[in-house]
Amino acid sequence: MGMDEPNSHQAVDPDGESSHPASRWGERILARVSCLAPLVHTFQNRSIEHRVLAGFGLVFAGILVISAISYRNMTVLIRNGHQDQRSHEFIQFLAATGEVMDDAESGHRRFLVTGDDGYLASYNTLRARAPEYLGYLRDLTDAISTQRARVNQLEELIAQQLQKERASIELRNETGFESVRAMALAGVAKTELDSARHLQVQMEQDETRALAQRVVESTTTTRSSIILLTIGALLLFVLLAAVYYLIRHDITERRRVADELQRRGELLEAANKELEAFSYSVSHDLRAPLRHIDGYASLLAKAATVSLDDKAKRYLQTISESATRMGQLIDDLLVFSRMGRQEMLRGTVNLNQLIASVLHDLRHDLQDRAISWTIAQLPEVTGDAAMLRQVFANLVGNAIKFTGSRPQATIEIGSRQSGQEEAVLFVRDNGVGFDMRYANKLFGVFQRLHRADEFDGTGIGLANVRRIIHRHGGKTWAEGALGEGATFYVSLPITRPSA
Amino acid sequence: MTVSKPILLAEDNPRDAELALAAMEEHHLADKVILCHDGAEVLDYLYCRGHFKTRLQGNPAVVLLDLKMPKVDGLEVLRTIKGDAALKPIPVVMLTSSREERDLVESYALGANAYVVKPVEFHQFLKAVKELGVFWGMINEPPPEGASRATGRST
Repeated sequence: MGMDEPNSHQAVDPDGESSHPASRWGERILARVSCLAPLVHTFQNRSIEHRVLAGFGLVFAGILVISAISYRNMTVLIRNGHQDQRSHEFIQFLAATGEVMDDAESGHRRFLVTGDDGYLASYNTLRARAPEYLGYLRDLTDAISTQRARVNQLEELIAQQLQKERASIELRNETGFESVRAMALAGVAKTELDSARHLQVQMEQDETRALAQRVVESTTTTRSSIILLTIGALLLFVLLAAVYYLIRHDITERRRVADELQRRGELLEAANKELEAFSYSVSHDLRAPLRHIDGYASLLAKAATVSLDDKAKRYLQTISESATRMGQLIDDLLVFSRMGRQEMLRGTVNLNQLIASVLHDLRHDLQDRAISWTIAQLPEVTGDAAMLRQVFANLVGNAIKFTGSRPQATIEIGSRQSGQEEAVLFVRDNGVGFDMRYANKLFGVFQRLHRADEFDGTGIGLANVRRIIHRHGGKTWAEGALGEGATFYVSLPITRPSA
Repeated sequence: MTVSKPILLAEDNPRDAELALAAMEEHHLADKVILCHDGAEVLDYLYCRGHFKTRLQGNPAVVLLDLKMPKVDGLEVLRTIKGDAALKPIPVVMLTSSREERDLVESYALGANAYVVKPVEFHQFLKAVKELGVFWGMINEPPPEGASRATGRST
């Protein structure tokens, strides 16, 4: 698309607007968003492939951005959910630890009073389970954080509690109840337990606060995700609509061209069918009256043979000959017409073999003739073998015909390569030749450069040659001079050895 | 050689018919020729109906069939003959002006026994018709009448 596209676009648009109210609507929107105008113009100057590519590139980029942000938000939500779970577990373990500590102290005091070992079960439980509980609590906190420091503090307090209780248990076992009475009444680890309880409350409060914060964060993230997705979808929709609007013109244009092409194809096919019916009718119906003319002239000549003089007999003879000749012309014309419509069967053609078989067919014309042949090694070409056979049958047949008056005829068939793609083949003779002034008439239908009584023929041969060679994508031309022979050239596509 | 069976010539054009008969006459075959002017008449003859209701039973030695004929055309007649077990053995020679490939292809596909293009030149036409008459009417041995009876066609 050239730089003059916007002008032609304006010229086309009024028609488009009257038939598409939607396009007027789109135009108005684009006009209103005036800051986009230069962008739109740049876009319109691009080819349709660029437009589609740019449009879908933008849509793709939009989808990527939305996906990235959504992914980030989802990660936050998942992380928060995970941490919430950890917080709840942390609080649970904290409470459990507190309970175990309280149980150990109260069991211990009962032991001090009664001296019954059974009351030491809770104390032993604390001793046994404390490291495990503290391990969990440590796992549920970050390495460098207030909560971790507090867990360490709690560990110390538990250790002190256990130490004090152990000391009092030993004292009780050694000296009896009286010496530990005060301890039993007041409790040995009261300070530690109080500190631990205080610590636990602080930890729980902090954890609950963190939980609440995360809930707020999650809610915000979810809400922003929903808003983002909605806006993104709307933007993408608008973008797609804009891209469609900008390529719509090309799409309708292309569809119109495709429709037009199809319509013409159908017309052409119909015309071809008609032509075929026409030539069929010619072939069948035109021959019949000619047959009758010749037939009745012959019957008349036979029936009235006694009463007719020589002049009258010659008249009848001429009638018969004319009818026969017209029959020949009709046949030739039909072959010529069929040559244009007939489907081509492309293949690799060995020209030397083809020429050999042509000469074999012409052997009757070659009797009593002294012709010196020079046939070069010819290339293989791509084409319809039957059609090309007709080409060389014509060219070689002409060379034989037009050298008929030469006591020693020379006919040369050769080739020269012209470029990578095609070969030029020629048939040269030393026959009667032709005047170069009429060279352009040689390949015309029913064009003859010689009188009918000099050489026979209808003048269709070279027209067929040209038609066949044109259908192969080649060219035909000729060089010659009156009385000095002629050279006929045809160019044909070469078959490459690799292909 | 004796000619016992007739030669059925289907030709709508009276001039062509006259020329063909003139050609047959050269070999005294003209009186053996039964002329039909369209495809319907050919079928009437073969099925002994209509105009030919009272004719002698039996198939002709050969049917010389023009392609383009009024009412029922040559290809249609050919299709009927080769589609009927009783008529199928009758040799059918297409005798036509058309050199079109599709006519040739279709005729042979339908089972034509020969295809002859009428030459424009009268002497060649004469020769062609004469040779057809001599070959199919005298040289060629037609299928025995029993061949069609055996297939069970009731008459």
